[in-house]
Amino acid sequence: MSTILEERQAALPELSPRLAEMKRRIRAGEHHRYRSTDMVDVLAECEREGLDWTRRAARLTRRMCEAQAVVIEPDERVLFTRTVKRIPPLYRPEQMDELRAGRTFHELGPISNICADWGMVLSQGLLARRAAAEAARARLAGDREAETFLDAAVETIDAVLELARRYASAAHALGRDDLADVLRLSPAHPPASFHEALQALRLCHAVLWLSGHYHCGLGRLDQYLWPYLEADLAEGRLVPAEAQELLEEFFISLNKDSDLYPGIQQGDNGQSLMLGGMRRDGSDGVNPLTAMVLEAGRKVALIDPKINVRVTRDTDLGLLAKGVELTRIGLGFPQWCNDEVIIPGLVAAGYDPEDAQDYTVAACWEFIIPGKGMEVVNIGAASMPAASDRAIRAGLEAGESFDRILRRAGADLAEQVSDIAEASRKLLLPPAPWYSVLMDGCLERGRDLCHGLKYNNFGIHGAGSANAADALAAVRTLVYDERRVDPTRLIRALDADFQGEEALRTELREGAPKVGNHDDGADGLLVDLFDRFADACDAAGDNGRGGRYRPGTGSAMYYVWLARGHEGMREPTVGATADGRRNGAFFSSSLAPSPEVQVRGPLSVLQSFGKLDYQRICNGGPLTMELADSLFRGKEAVEKVALFIRAFVRSGCQQMQLNTLNVDTLRDAQRHPELHRNLVVRVWGWSGYFCELDESYQNQIIGRHIYGV
Amino acid sequence: MIYMINRANASAAESAKGGAGSTTAATGLEGMGQGMRASVTGVVFDIRELTIHDGPGLRTTVFLKGCPLSCAWCHNPEGRSREPQVLRGPNGDRVAGRSYQADELATLLNRQAPLLIDGGVSFSGGEPLMQAAFLEAVLERLEGLHVVLGTSGFAPAESFLRVVRRCDLVLFDLKLMDPEAHRRWTGVDNRVILDNLQRLADLGLPYLIRVPLAPGVTDTEANLRFIALHVRELPGRPRVELLPYNRAAGGKYAACGLEWRPDYDETVPCRTDLAPFHELQVDARVL
Repeated sequence: MSTILEERQAALPELSPRLAEMKRRIRAGEHHRYRSTDMVDVLAECEREGLDWTRRAARLTRRMCEAQAVVIEPDERVLFTRTVKRIPPLYRPEQMDELRAGRTFHELGPISNICADWGMVLSQGLLARRAAAEAARARLAGDREAETFLDAAVETIDAVLELARRYASAAHALGRDDLADVLRLSPAHPPASFHEALQALRLCHAVLWLSGHYHCGLGRLDQYLWPYLEADLAEGRLVPAEAQELLEEFFISLNKDSDLYPGIQQGDNGQSLMLGGMRRDGSDGVNPLTAMVLEAGRKVALIDPKINVRVTRDTDLGLLAKGVELTRIGLGFPQWCNDEVIIPGLVAAGYDPEDAQDYTVAACWEFIIPGKGMEVVNIGAASMPAASDRAIRAGLEAGESFDRILRRAGADLAEQVSDIAEASRKLLLPPAPWYSVLMDGCLERGRDLCHGLKYNNFGIHGAGSANAADALAAVRTLVYDERRVDPTRLIRALDADFQGEEALRTELREGAPKVGNHDDGADGLLVDLFDRFADACDAAGDNGRGGRYRPGTGSAMYYVWLARGHEGMREPTVGATADGRRNGAFFSSSLAPSPEVQVRGPLSVLQSFGKLDYQRICNGGPLTMELADSLFRGKEAVEKVALFIRAFVRSGCQQMQLNTLNVDTLRDAQRHPELHRNLVVRVWGWSGYFCELDESYQNQIIGRHIYGV
Repeated sequence: MIYMINRANASAAESAKGGAGSTTAATGLEGMGQGMRASVTGVVFDIRELTIHDGPGLRTTVFLKGCPLSCAWCHNPEGRSREPQVLRGPNGDRVAGRSYQADELATLLNRQAPLLIDGGVSFSGGEPLMQAAFLEAVLERLEGLHVVLGTSGFAPAESFLRVVRRCDLVLFDLKLMDPEAHRRWTGVDNRVILDNLQRLADLGLPYLIRVPLAPGVTDTEANLRFIALHVRELPGRPRVELLPYNRAAGGKYAACGLEWRPDYDETVPCRTDLAPFHELQVDARVL
């Protein structure tokens, strides 16, 4: 076995020595020596000049760009290293409290978790964006808000152009005129080469982070970069191997600053990109760059960028196999998105067909249209286990029918959604002039991104769903159908966290159907819960920004928080549950069988979760599966996993994350973290270094279902 | 890259030789296939989805319990006994073996058919032909699924033929060509096996030869050469697949209450020598 594995590894190309060294330096943090801990003071001048919030945000972008030292390593071809660590405040705390009075921020405040229209920005160039702003300013003269916004936007554009100019001069001074030429042309002008496009993207994207934004998506990279590469290849300016290496260097550069990005834990940074799928006109968008990106992801083998692939049942098996090769190294991506389910779902939710065909993911899995979505895709979570638990307790105490319990669960979900909706209508989105430059129509309309785009929906996670359905299935089977469990005893046992009721707990766990075995007894209840959740989101109406509430199947951190609580969390926690789960035990992450449930295998899991009506739940949230690394040994095995991805499409599931895990390796990493510094695992929407995770997350990962052991 | 699943037309493949060779005297087959004929209940010790080495494409494999052989390298000791048994593992007990009605198992598999278009179902064991009547009843009830049978070939001719005629591909094990060595290492005579192989070959169904490699036992140059010589003469000259020895073979013995004591040296790397096959123009590969 091991000889076959080694042969395969030898057969796959690896990073060039230049990039291997660059990767080593970044993982070792050698570039941290360029970082300054000084805080840029923006607040003082903003106060002095009496700037409003929009102009303050622009000033932040400008001063952060100015404070950036220029770093050019001798072996670099895609430049930019962040040297300013901290993002300064724009207001004093008491001023901020005043601004926020009666309103709420989403998470940290600044706009996050959306995706720019990178294709538009690159194809126009920043000078054209500047001209668009100037034209709008002339047209909208007298509209104070528009004037302020457009002046702010121009300030940010000029700041980025100046940063590029400083990089170009420094490159010239170092005798690197090849790089100086690249930076002189782009991002000011549309890129004349693949190299210029990558450099412009690197710079414009990095400035989003410098401006305090986070979870900044990269969108449909193979779609918007391919025209530049195609032209280079056609004109003979570049051979494929050189293009591949540039792309890999760009990927490595995206990992330079990950430790400075805000997130739950390092790795949760939303630098996600999308590959493949239809073009806006409905034609097949797969191009040679699609496979190159998968190859680059495998060779670079770092946590950024996080790669997503759109698939249909006609997606070439060779491309799927390339994706499986990437899965095999254990980064937890690519994440697979089923166009056959997602596009009609988005259309049903009100998206124009050509926009739906252009979808990407925001930070993790939530579907969003590049440049057109100012959506807050994770505004909150509905706790399905809390809904089912409260319904079960109340229904059993009142001696009601099982059907009545289901209706109670639906009413509970409706109440949770209504609470989230009410709170979310107070949402305050701060102005974002630089991000607005990168979006469709903000400059043209003279309106900041924070006032909305074409799509303005909010997404709500439906978390802990499998546990909730299993709890209902256990009650229906054991209390109602078979009458083997007395309702009073069940409630007492739940209150006592099954102390002295181990036999009952075993019966709940083993004596009733569970989600994940293609058994309608449990799967039907999962479908029912999501239908009621979708009804609740429909009923919540407008979100105050011209959007609606999109139900989803993800959980993010809620699989932990809904079990153990979390500071400032609005969502209810729940103790021991009727599926036999003990108080405090984690729920399943996004869509997966409940953690302690034994299931037959991955096909049954696909069939269980394929029953959901994804036309009504289009916020996203992946079916998450761990495959044993033995499933990736040999060409034949890789092809089978590729066929499994095709089966995922056929099953009617929406989105899937495959991870490969070797439990022995993970246990060894817990004992000897120093030997496994580079071990990467998928956590939920993101991948992180295993040894940098808290122990409870490490244990949750070790406890996940692993298929094919 | 794309798997072509061609459903064999079993009835067209039937040959006149189908019923030949039903003598079972003194072969160790006494009792096999008897008493089960009327039964449509079988014992299954595992159903695995997304199996890798049990045939082309995406497959679900059913492991039928019970095996008349006792191969020294057997890595499924819970597949030997026909009866359900308790496995005592480090993480608690588990019963291996569950009875299924033929209808029940067929329904379970038919429900997966929409996802198994690029593959199908496989039957392995144990020795699936130990439960030939049950297996036949299940196969009768499958709807549009490509069927692979993995077998040692050790079964009465009649039940062997009845089952394989309902399959689309047979993975036929050849372990040792020397009759004496075969008895020593598997506990049974290989005469029956070679006769069934000939019957299978004469049927004209797609089939492959599988050779499980155990170091110093089945992987010897002489054994591989004899297998190559034998396969070369078979109608259709099937492909040979060598299955490298897996050091995890002994992993489940303790849980079965058995001692793992192979009387060969499993630390010796097994030879995966394709030369004896290629020299005789026999298609062969290592899995």
